[in-house]
Amino acid sequence: MYGFEAMTFNIHGGYLEAIVRGYRAGLLTAADYNNLCQCETLDDIKMHLSATEYGPYLQNEPSPLHTTTIVEKCTLKLVDEYKHMLCQATEPLSTFLEYITYGHMIDNVVLIVTGTLHERDVQELLEKCHPLGMFDSIATLAVAQNMRELYRLVLVDTPLAPYFSECITSEDLDDMNIEIMRNTLYKAYLEDFYKFCQKLGGATAEIMSDLLAFEADRRAVNITINSIGTELTRDDRRKLYSNFGLLYPYGHEELAVCEDIDQVRGVMEKYPPYQSIFSKLSYGESQMLDKAFYEEEFHYGVFFAYMRLREQEIRNLMWISECVAQNQKSRVHDSVVFIF
Amino acid sequence: MMEDQEEKGNAENGIGRQKQVKDEYLLQFLDSLDGYLTLLDSLSSTLSQGWLELASARHAMGASRINGALLDLKVHAAATSLKVSEQDVDSMESQPCFTLCKWASSDNGERSSGEEKSLSPQLRHRNNSQLSEEKVSTRTGTPLILVDQQRQKSLSVFGVLVSPKLRSAQLSFERALETLVEIANLHTTMLSMFEQVHKELENTNG
Repeated sequence: MYGFEAMTFNIHGGYLEAIVRGYRAGLLTAADYNNLCQCETLDDIKMHLSATEYGPYLQNEPSPLHTTTIVEKCTLKLVDEYKHMLCQATEPLSTFLEYITYGHMIDNVVLIVTGTLHERDVQELLEKCHPLGMFDSIATLAVAQNMRELYRLVLVDTPLAPYFSECITSEDLDDMNIEIMRNTLYKAYLEDFYKFCQKLGGATAEIMSDLLAFEADRRAVNITINSIGTELTRDDRRKLYSNFGLLYPYGHEELAVCEDIDQVRGVMEKYPPYQSIFSKLSYGESQMLDKAFYEEEFHYGVFFAYMRLREQEIRNLMWISECVAQNQKSRVHDSVVFIF
Repeated sequence: MMEDQEEKGNAENGIGRQKQVKDEYLLQFLDSLDGYLTLLDSLSSTLSQGWLELASARHAMGASRINGALLDLKVHAAATSLKVSEQDVDSMESQPCFTLCKWASSDNGERSSGEEKSLSPQLRHRNNSQLSEEKVSTRTGTPLILVDQQRQKSLSVFGVLVSPKLRSAQLSFERALETLVEIANLHTTMLSMFEQVHKELENTNG
């Protein structure tokens, strides 16, 4: 117990904490994953999922199914649950729940801007956006020619506005600038979310600081690995890392100069929490997220943890569906992250 | 009598030579058929690997970062092109020869080893695509760095910082394209050999 949350939390947050713990009980179990991994076709997967909470979302889908259809319908379930929680939440929980979706908002902004740069139809791009990251003026993004216009015409009225201060230039939008914009926005968002959680204090601050620190560290590793062999300079790479996390600041200095994955592994193995889980980074994250449900009550970390666990579950379903559709069932266990 | 025996000997030698030529054509046809089937199998496994790597990249990066809606519809030069030329088999006929020009938008326009392969119907075994790339670049003098830049440029539709799985998928599909060109060349050789064998059979029966 970090504070006196037990005395006051349930006044505003008790109902929703009970709801989210109920949602958490509906996550797929090891038995469900075993059944799914043995499916021969996507229709088999649909049949197995009909016995889970995804059943109502998939039952009306006609055959032949496509893997993207399964992912879309499962995502709709997550969106419905999120919207239910958001409409029942009061401050500061409602702001906390909105923070969880800003990452998707950033992804949608980059998707629209990139697609427009490639002369794609806006409607086609809107269909590919994540539903949790939608906002009213998102279609207007297609009009902007540079980042200054992007901010002035659209983003100034969105929650992403404060994150844009480091991105505003008059340079034209090209692939490199868009990538830097994506990562700079995400860095600013994570740091802002971190500060918000610290302001909330108590158990929320303690638990969320660990979860967000892991998110920041995982992002740093992804940026490092994905930028190996590209034209991104070491200084630019360092600027994309967040200013918190277990790897900050010394781990970041070492990651910034890594030239291959073995050097990255060498850096990570100096940090005990990441020694054994570097090869299973996603599994380690799932374990941490699930712990948030068990270790403490009366904090907002359960909401963040539930959203992330559901998103991981949807990614698992996507991978299993792809392996089944491509007749590569032997590769299913390469990327499925078992939560339980 | 001696003359009869000499004529009989010459006739037998002629028949023997004809049989040798027929056997040679038949062997070449069977070799090309074997190579063709082996290449088809290789293509199938390379494509399977490529599709799985693409799915793995979507799993790592997210569906919003890797999807068909991001492909570039602006008019731009093809990164890879196929050249079709006529190759003389004998004085009477010619057969098409396919050559792949990979990353042709680079300054030196690297030519793939498909060009050398198009002259020989024999199967070349691939051990390591990167190793073969190094050999090609050494032969043609095209720096590998230009090829890497062209690869990154074509992947940049999905962003600059992409998963290593997406790069692997790109290499797999590149290998598949080279294999397709090999298959096309071997197919024309196989058909040519088949016609030769067919002609010889008709001559024998006629």
